Amino acid sequence: MPGPGFSCHGRWRLLTLLPLTLLPLGCGAGSGGGEGEEITLYTCVSDETIQPIISGFESDNDGSEVKLFRAPTGDLNARVAGDVRSGGLKADVIWGCDPLTMQGYVDQDLVGGWSPEGAADIPEQFRTDDYVGVAVLYMVAVYQDGAPAPSSWSDLAGTDYDSVAVSDPNVAASALGALGYFSQEPDYGLDFYSTLEEQGAQQVGTPDEVTAGVAQGAYDAGITIANSAYLAKDSGSPIDIVWPEPGAIAIYGPIALATDSADSTLAKDFISYVVSEAGQQVVAEAGSYPTLPGVEGPEIPADAPVVYPDWPKIDATKDSLLSDYQQIFGG
Amino acid sequence: MPADEPAQHVLDVRDLTVAYGGVAAVDHVCLHVRRGEVLALLGPSGSGKSTLLSAVAGFRPPTTGEVWLQGRRVADPGRAEPPERRDVAVVFQSYALWPHLSALDTVAYPIRRRGARRRPAREEALEVLDRLRIAHLADRRPAELSGGEQQRVGLARALARQASLYLFDEPTAHLDTHVRGVFLDELVVRREASGAGGLYATHDAEEALGLADRVALLNAGRLVQLGTPEQVYAEPVDIWAAGLTGPASVVRAAVVAAHGGRCSVVVQGHRVTVEGTAATPGRDTVPLLVRPGWARLGGELTGRLRAARFRGPHSDHLVETSMGEVLIREPGPPRHAVGDDVPWTLSRIWPLQETAAPGGVAGPFLSRAQSRGRSDSRPR
Amino acid sequence: MQARSTDLGRRAAVLAVGTVIFLLVVLPVFRLGYVVWTEGSTQLDEVLGRPGLGEAVLNTVLLAVAVTVTAVPLGTLVALGLRRADVPGRGWWRFAMLLPVLVPQFVLGYSWTQAYGRAGFTDTILGLVWPSVLGPWGVWAVLVVNTVPLTYLFVAVGLATRAEPNLERAARASGGDPASVLRHVTLPLLRPSIAAASVLSFVLTMESFAIPQVMGTPAGFTTVTTTIYRDLSLGSDPLSFVEALTLALLLVALTVLVVIPADLWLGPRLRVTRVANPEGAPIVTPRGAAGRWIAAGLGGYLLLGGVLPLVALVTAAITPAVGVSPSPGNWTLDNFRFVVNARNAEALGRSALLAFAAAGLLTVLGGAVAVLERRRAGRVMASLVTVTLVLPGSTLAVALLITYGRWIGGTLTLILLAYLAKLWAFAHRPISGALDRLAAGEMQAARASGAKALTAVRTVALRPLAPALLGAWLICFVTALHEVTMSSLLYGPDSDTLAVVVLNSKELGRIGATAALSVLLTLVMLLPALPLWVLIRRLQSPRHPRAGGARSLAHAR
Repeated sequence: MPGPGFSCHGRWRLLTLLPLTLLPLGCGAGSGGGEGEEITLYTCVSDETIQPIISGFESDNDGSEVKLFRAPTGDLNARVAGDVRSGGLKADVIWGCDPLTMQGYVDQDLVGGWSPEGAADIPEQFRTDDYVGVAVLYMVAVYQDGAPAPSSWSDLAGTDYDSVAVSDPNVAASALGALGYFSQEPDYGLDFYSTLEEQGAQQVGTPDEVTAGVAQGAYDAGITIANSAYLAKDSGSPIDIVWPEPGAIAIYGPIALATDSADSTLAKDFISYVVSEAGQQVVAEAGSYPTLPGVEGPEIPADAPVVYPDWPKIDATKDSLLSDYQQIFGG
Repeated sequence: MPADEPAQHVLDVRDLTVAYGGVAAVDHVCLHVRRGEVLALLGPSGSGKSTLLSAVAGFRPPTTGEVWLQGRRVADPGRAEPPERRDVAVVFQSYALWPHLSALDTVAYPIRRRGARRRPAREEALEVLDRLRIAHLADRRPAELSGGEQQRVGLARALARQASLYLFDEPTAHLDTHVRGVFLDELVVRREASGAGGLYATHDAEEALGLADRVALLNAGRLVQLGTPEQVYAEPVDIWAAGLTGPASVVRAAVVAAHGGRCSVVVQGHRVTVEGTAATPGRDTVPLLVRPGWARLGGELTGRLRAARFRGPHSDHLVETSMGEVLIREPGPPRHAVGDDVPWTLSRIWPLQETAAPGGVAGPFLSRAQSRGRSDSRPR
Repeated sequence: MQARSTDLGRRAAVLAVGTVIFLLVVLPVFRLGYVVWTEGSTQLDEVLGRPGLGEAVLNTVLLAVAVTVTAVPLGTLVALGLRRADVPGRGWWRFAMLLPVLVPQFVLGYSWTQAYGRAGFTDTILGLVWPSVLGPWGVWAVLVVNTVPLTYLFVAVGLATRAEPNLERAARASGGDPASVLRHVTLPLLRPSIAAASVLSFVLTMESFAIPQVMGTPAGFTTVTTTIYRDLSLGSDPLSFVEALTLALLLVALTVLVVIPADLWLGPRLRVTRVANPEGAPIVTPRGAAGRWIAAGLGGYLLLGGVLPLVALVTAAITPAVGVSPSPGNWTLDNFRFVVNARNAEALGRSALLAFAAAGLLTVLGGAVAVLERRRAGRVMASLVTVTLVLPGSTLAVALLITYGRWIGGTLTLILLAYLAKLWAFAHRPISGALDRLAAGEMQAARASGAKALTAVRTVALRPLAPALLGAWLICFVTALHEVTMSSLLYGPDSDTLAVVVLNSKELGRIGATAALSVLLTLVMLLPALPLWVLIRRLQSPRHPRAGGARSLAHAR
């Protein structure tokens, strides 16, 4: 309804020096218009991963089209909330970056209620009845060349490191996953963070900032996601990576069908494709860790240990967890 | 005549040049203003009057030369005292009134800067306003004042400064005759009381001649002539100066003899003896200035009346003669019809140097229009 | 008859602009309030009583005050210094002062940490670390650096359009020394511009997000905007969403508390109707030690605030990876190659077109409010359009999505509407600050010479207002082009903008790519900014350089 907003422009147009100003108004085409079937995908997954997946799917399903809205989790949440209050969710499929966000959508009855057949092949830790994990982030330890390599997470809280960087669980879901995992581990608990802080640990924003800080020499070591650390190392940053005991913390990115699109075959086909071996192969080639066993993804050291946070428990205790954490790291 | 010693000068401008980007707006000018004297700077737009005032006020540093105020050097190329330490007051052309201050606060401003406290300053300001008969406007801001009222506030502010030199940047341009009379009288009173001087820039000859003790003619940044109003009117140095200082008929004739303030001019084949002089009498025709009062209707010469215009107290007659067109001013309404042959008499001439002056030869009717910048400043 | 039709025209204009304000500002904010009321009224106490919120609000207000009381005097000082003293290379400095505006905000904070943080530029080269670069002091410093060019621009426009040099000359000739002239004449004349700069500085600090997020959050310094971001990032549940909206409305309430009294009460009192014709060349005090000191101060400011961070940025852009020594042997253009591709260029083009359109419309809308607010009926308009400026991008985008998404969701039109709503005050304030340059007589003279109302505006009003209009246009264009949050939330298929490009490079965690993109953006920004700046400079020079100037005392040639 752009009309009323510009009801006076006939009058003002005489004033404006820039007759071009009105050109782009005609460009926004809205939805519809393409031939064949189309679905809309909301995701927070990086462009490098999502584009090959969409291309792969579209070439498998001639004439179909996947319309993409991609934004960081916060914006994605806002967009979904806005959709819900202006005529309903516009997405047919949501591919999120962490289970907590997806569980929130399930709780609002926006997604879920359907699983693809291939879901059974995905490890149980990476799925629920409503959504299936299709990519994983691993929280690993990164350290400067020259610093001693930590063998376990607890080493980071030792005296070997003057300063350790952690990412903010208020900002990054991966950091929240790590916080949830440590808080639930009897050997660690929130005391782990207290000790880190006492040893001079610093909180930064995102895992990428942790990687950059360590690479730059601002911190001796840090907790970050594996993709970020390997990318930096491969392009020449003076750092190394350890998958410490008891294990790298796995945070999976789930995909789910919108409840309003329960009848959409194409949407279901898309999810099935991402879960399938072919789809997982594309995920792996794009540089993300796939969830389907047997598909070879980016670098993982042999016998690297992996641990899985208890997401439902994190979801239930999130608020108290964060406020306790807040007591330790400022704010 | 006051003693002409530098110590007696309120202002001394010595060999002053002010250049903008290599172009001299004021070009090696020397002049001074004596105590109790008003010097008019008369020149057309762009002649350097305003630049000269800026240099005196302290808004522009001199490029070369010096400015002395009250026997004290205030500016030379190396050092220029700021305006506030110069003991000058300025009346700006477009008033430059502060939009956020009332008339009273505007006039109190220079008094406050002299160190007066707020209350006495306002009382004094009110007196100044009262003298200019605008005390009832004291609380108004410039936007609420008419053009004439604004100008009076601007003048009041300058008077409140109690300076020893008043600078006027064509201030009367917008004023009607009555108001101009009021404040010029006011100025004369102050000037005589305090021994201050005035430097008055204008392009209106009648105003300059009527107001000033001496007149400086400026052209393209150069001082062309400096003298009493009578001198610059009756004895302009060249055709350009003649046109600038008043209605001027420039005719050509041979001045064959000159002796003791009288000379013989050849007109219509006759030798006519008139008041005047000639540097080198001879048979060649030379340009001669004839002011409107220097010729009369009636007499032995004849000419054809080309135009006649009634001007109230007098009438202007443009008479075509063998030596050129002559403007003759006679009291009363025109007495002859246009096109008639009329008798006339030449009583005085002033020989002019042949110079190519900007604006060309000033014709009689033209020169009046030229000397008046604005249609509303009718001559008295 | 004539009077009645003008009156009618005026009413129609008020009605038209009022309608646009209602649709772009009032309705969306009302929709937010409605969502909060229907979905969150039961938890309202809980949301507002949440631990840490009071601190965030206090931080926000203190920050806004601190930035304003620093940036406004600094900007005024710079404007006065550059306009009224003979600083060596004045023309260059005037341009250089605006450079920080051309650097996207999301880049500025980052580049500061790169320059002054641990293992940053100064640490590596000089061993100098400024530990508190992260935290309130760092946030304050960077926000001040970011705001000073804006306040400078406002005051400089005010100086050029309001404080005619002859007014200052008259004060000097009345015996006032420079300090007294500054206090009694120049500053009072600049009051509307300074007030406009203060309001904008205050509001912009309240809504600033990128810098507090990058530099404050790591040190536990929270503001309302970072809290909103956290709420939206962490929770996909309705409660978090409503919490975020509630906080956004709290920001609106805080703004309204400050801005409406300023506009309603202070505004008309600050304005003075002027009578004098602008004339006189600028007063320039002779070159002396002061000029060199000012130049040195400006140089230091630009070096620390702009150049060093930008050098750090360029260094990051040409280094293959973080931690690799930035020696020439390691230089690479890979990061640029990664960023420059057809898809990004297309998105950038779309952004530029959008920014171009938004800036043009905003100049008209801003001018309309500036004119109408002079009447009693229009006064509240100025405050209203400021409300949407303070709404964080994410919440404003949500508000527009909720209000209009049903019909135009995912189109460029919706993004354009968001820009108009967000930046309206940005366009309005500088124009408003310069409007009383227009003497009433000039317009009347044009009407009396046979010009219709619009012709009179075009032929008589536009020219003297041109510096302010172009300034407003430039600010809007630059800000709209940099805008990331709203467009990244509102874009749809085939309407992806620069935001998506930025997102791509950031998400990959490649600092080099982000830096390369920022460098390119800054360069792209210079393309339209340079000629426009030259144009503004020319328009600001005296209006009648020959004829008018020759008669005035100050300006004889």
